[in-house]
Amino acid sequence: MSTLNYSRTKQAARWFDIRQRKVGMWAYALNRITGIGLVVYLYLHLGVLSMLMRGQSAWDAFVALARSPLYLVLDVILLAGILIHGLNGLRLAFTGLGFSVGAQKALFIILMVIGAIILLVAGLKIFAV
Amino acid sequence: MSTLKVSLEIFRYKKGQPAHYDPFTVEIPDNAHVIDVIDTVWAKHDPSLTFRRACHHSSCGSCALRINGVEKLPCITRLTDVWNGIKPIRIEPLRNFPVVSDLVVEVGDFFERMSAAGMTITCEAEGFLPLTVDTFAVADVLPRAVELPDNLALFNRFEQCIECGICMSACPTMATDSKFIGPAGLAAIYQARHKTDDPARVKHLLGLADGEHGVWRCHSAFECTEACPQAVDPASKIMALRRELTLRRLRKMFGLRI
Repeated sequence: MSTLNYSRTKQAARWFDIRQRKVGMWAYALNRITGIGLVVYLYLHLGVLSMLMRGQSAWDAFVALARSPLYLVLDVILLAGILIHGLNGLRLAFTGLGFSVGAQKALFIILMVIGAIILLVAGLKIFAV
Repeated sequence: MSTLKVSLEIFRYKKGQPAHYDPFTVEIPDNAHVIDVIDTVWAKHDPSLTFRRACHHSSCGSCALRINGVEKLPCITRLTDVWNGIKPIRIEPLRNFPVVSDLVVEVGDFFERMSAAGMTITCEAEGFLPLTVDTFAVADVLPRAVELPDNLALFNRFEQCIECGICMSACPTMATDSKFIGPAGLAAIYQARHKTDDPARVKHLLGLADGEHGVWRCHSAFECTEACPQAVDPASKIMALRRELTLRRLRKMFGLRI
């Protein structure tokens, strides 16, 4: 029977389609976005660390750049990604083993509020340095 | 009772033609359900429109589709709940199923998954099972005695499953793993597993759940539970299966009796 099938790209785009969806799906999409972001950051970080092999002057030049306001904003965004992914990961580990599945929405909201508070405090400290 | 002039956009697909949306405007009583609107489009505007419907009261699951992007049963969705008088109502087939024609999707694979768990819905006796046994005496209701499980509420909960496929459409994992057993299939496995003490049958069912396309493919979007029109709560069943599988592995790892 002939049927209409969608491309894998179009299908994968559904991971991020949160229109009309509830809290669980927002968490799902956020986890994927932050996960991809953290993997990209990991490679960037390894690239940056490789500057150490080019000697002190190269490293010092990078550190000076890393203290610029733009980089401090990127640091805050990185921390946000770590907090979202890590705290949601705790929620998934808990519910994934059958505990408090009925409270998964409340868990997400509570953990994100905690993450937001940590981010705010850390962000102020980052910019205060 | 008054009538409404309702605008719709309905997904259309026929073999050999590109998929597109056709606009329709129908006049319909304001107490209609969405399935009535689709029926009217087919009867008065375009008899080439293909769609499924049967019971008209959320017992068969045949009519499941998406209304304004959300999976619903149109037979129990009131028109006034989805029509705001301005933007056309968008009617589309379920996601994650191959589209055969217009609003009709291929469900053969889906029913095979339910069969694999041994849970296709079949009626074995006339009569009905009350939700609470303290309302009726079973012998008064059924012509012959039927053995009911102790945890009746648990089984009634799953038996509400009408195999409509809405959970499969709402699940984002189904979008990229067509072999994923899916929320309905895994909930059926959970139900079948708790209905039997036969070790061979339990091993088979847990093996299905623990497989490459089983419970571990679920990434906890919980949309299946949100979308289910019958409150089956498949997400809880999937997580309960995970817990059982994990405990069994841990016991095996430490040489304890499973």
